[in-house]
Amino acid sequence: MNMKLLWHELRLIITILIGKILIVLCRFAKLGGTSFPGKVAEKLCPGILRELSSGLKLIMVTGTNGKTTTTRIIEKILQENKIQYITNKSGANLVNGVITAFIEAVDFLGKTDASIALIEIDEAAFSKICNLIVPHVLIVTNFFRDQLDRYGELYGTLKLVKKTAALFENIKLVLNADDSLCASIGKDLKNEVTYYGIDKDVKHSTSSNNEAYDSKDAVFCLYCQSKYEYDYHTYGHLGGFRCPNCGYARPSADISCTEIDEMKDTHTDIKMRVSNQVIKARVNLPGLYNIYNALAATACSEVLGLPIQNTVKAIGSFESGFGRMETIPADGKFLKLILVKNPTGFDQVLSYFIEQNDSNMQIAFIINDNAADGRDISWLWDVEFEKLLNISHKEPEFYVSGLRAEDMAVRLKYAGIDTNKITIIKDYEELVNKGLLRTQQSKSFYILPTYTAMLELRKLLKVKYNLHDFWE
Amino acid sequence: MYTIEICHLYPEILNLYGDKGNITALKKRCEWRGIDVKIHNISLEDDFNPDNYDIIFIGGGQDYEQEIVKDDLLHKKGAAIKEAIEGNKVFLAICGGYQLLGKYYKTKEGKELEFLGALDFWTNGDEKRMIGNVIIECDFLKSESFDGKIVGFENHSGKTYLGKDITPLGKVIIGYGNNGEDGYEGAVYKNVYCSYLHGSLLPKNPAFTDFLLEKALNNKYKDFGTLPNLDDSFEMAARNSVINRLITSNKINKLRKIF
Ligand SMILES: [Zn+2]
Repeated sequence: MNMKLLWHELRLIITILIGKILIVLCRFAKLGGTSFPGKVAEKLCPGILRELSSGLKLIMVTGTNGKTTTTRIIEKILQENKIQYITNKSGANLVNGVITAFIEAVDFLGKTDASIALIEIDEAAFSKICNLIVPHVLIVTNFFRDQLDRYGELYGTLKLVKKTAALFENIKLVLNADDSLCASIGKDLKNEVTYYGIDKDVKHSTSSNNEAYDSKDAVFCLYCQSKYEYDYHTYGHLGGFRCPNCGYARPSADISCTEIDEMKDTHTDIKMRVSNQVIKARVNLPGLYNIYNALAATACSEVLGLPIQNTVKAIGSFESGFGRMETIPADGKFLKLILVKNPTGFDQVLSYFIEQNDSNMQIAFIINDNAADGRDISWLWDVEFEKLLNISHKEPEFYVSGLRAEDMAVRLKYAGIDTNKITIIKDYEELVNKGLLRTQQSKSFYILPTYTAMLELRKLLKVKYNLHDFWE
Repeated sequence: MYTIEICHLYPEILNLYGDKGNITALKKRCEWRGIDVKIHNISLEDDFNPDNYDIIFIGGGQDYEQEIVKDDLLHKKGAAIKEAIEGNKVFLAICGGYQLLGKYYKTKEGKELEFLGALDFWTNGDEKRMIGNVIIECDFLKSESFDGKIVGFENHSGKTYLGKDITPLGKVIIGYGNNGEDGYEGAVYKNVYCSYLHGSLLPKNPAFTDFLLEKALNNKYKDFGTLPNLDDSFEMAARNSVINRLITSNKINKLRKIF
């Protein structure tokens, strides 16, 4: 055997070995860090990702909101179809996190039984990962403003994703038809596109209140800067947009939700059009935004050519993962954890509160400004906390915590909430105890942390309520 | 009964970093004192007569969005804005809105974009973004009970330089400020206050908010005097927590450099 080749093989094996040891050590040390082993591996054996993924069909999911949920639903679909896969966990969606996931999944020789790699990738890291590996299918959920200090600007992120995808005409795109930013990728590129979306103003047929439309993103045509007109809105800037000047408009969706039959706080029953056939389906998650996630996953399964009945089964039985509304039983009451990370997602959660009929609801906001949360907290001022005044007759009480607890208190005060109803509690244990104490029997104490606050909080709850580690 | 009329220029376009919070702060702090407030959202193509307003606010946008308002700002509303500024109208301009009031913006590639030119300052585009928490000290806010320090967050790649008739808003204690070079932040000319700080700026710096309101009220009502105090414990706690954290981490960083 050629010495050079032998050395290369050896180096790969040693790198995998070291990587696997580091993964175990990180976990043992409760670092929770999932990027460090990948970083070391890339140093030891540059381009290792290309090697480990060769022979696998790569599916990537990116976009501002919903990429974790969409990825997890696709995972469920793969399981329903008994397809072996590799995937990265949420929070490990930068390049090094993906490398770590591969090292963990392969054997010591770098081999795997999997045929698919399902990768959630941060939209800002998408172009970086494409220097190493290129997806066969790329799903883009949407573009909203998110943690601006980290990502620079919304249009810059969109441009970069577009520019990168344009280099690889073979990538099959799955795009949100209702997002003028996202759909523009399909318009501008020559790649094969499958669009998904919600076909009409389905909100009228549900109980959810029709709030005044107030979008902050993409008000103006991306091509000619005229103001879009809308046949209907779903949420944020999503909906049936069309430019009266240049004609750029929502493309017709290949996979679409045509009707919402019933919307509950745990699931939504919908009618879905898939290759000219209308089928009934249950999305086993609450809220309009999760319909989009289910449609994106369905569109992906169509691109992969998987049988629709397995897909319907998967989206109907899916259970949410880390932090996207997690329920923890606590002495006859419940803790509900909901991750918050940007205005649009936050607004959706507040709408959810308004639909609940609980009186004296206990709600906590834990706001950190570490790098992974976004250092800039000005986005709190783009969240419509004023909505909470709609439930003020039910006398909710609010707690604020985290590094930016005081800023959050100011935000609630200026939303018009009585300052006597706002308590600053920095200690998480005290916060959990106090909130639970004031929660009525069989009801929930809602806690909304930002990303690093969620990690810290789960550490405490793990001891208190025996929670699993989120990577398990 | 006193009334304050606030004009928010291009609210649906220039609203990048929670700019709406500044309007909310002005509004709430009037309402809490029984002063009537009216907000006027004035956008592209809308008629704009500054005489109708007591405070005029303009926020920041992304390049793409600033491009959208530029024509309307320069050619449709520009003359009225300039006249109002010379007539001592109270203005607050943040980030992109701040830059737009200046003479020009020179891109990294050296292309000079003409801006409104209402105030004598200019901005040069740069590679590096200046991002982070900021503390500045404003002499005009200092009093027996207040140290003049205001806090916020900056995120800009443009470096702004002030002409000779323009004074800075404050001295940078922590952060980059106008250009990361001369140690100053923001700009003041007559009653026009400009700053790169968002956060939002006004809610957690109530002394500055009240200063602007008092200016506007005294402009309008000859007998107004001063605003009564409010309970600002949350606001001051937010401001102080930022100041304490930044000063501590700054000290640690300095120690790190020594060792
Ligand atoms: Zn157009």
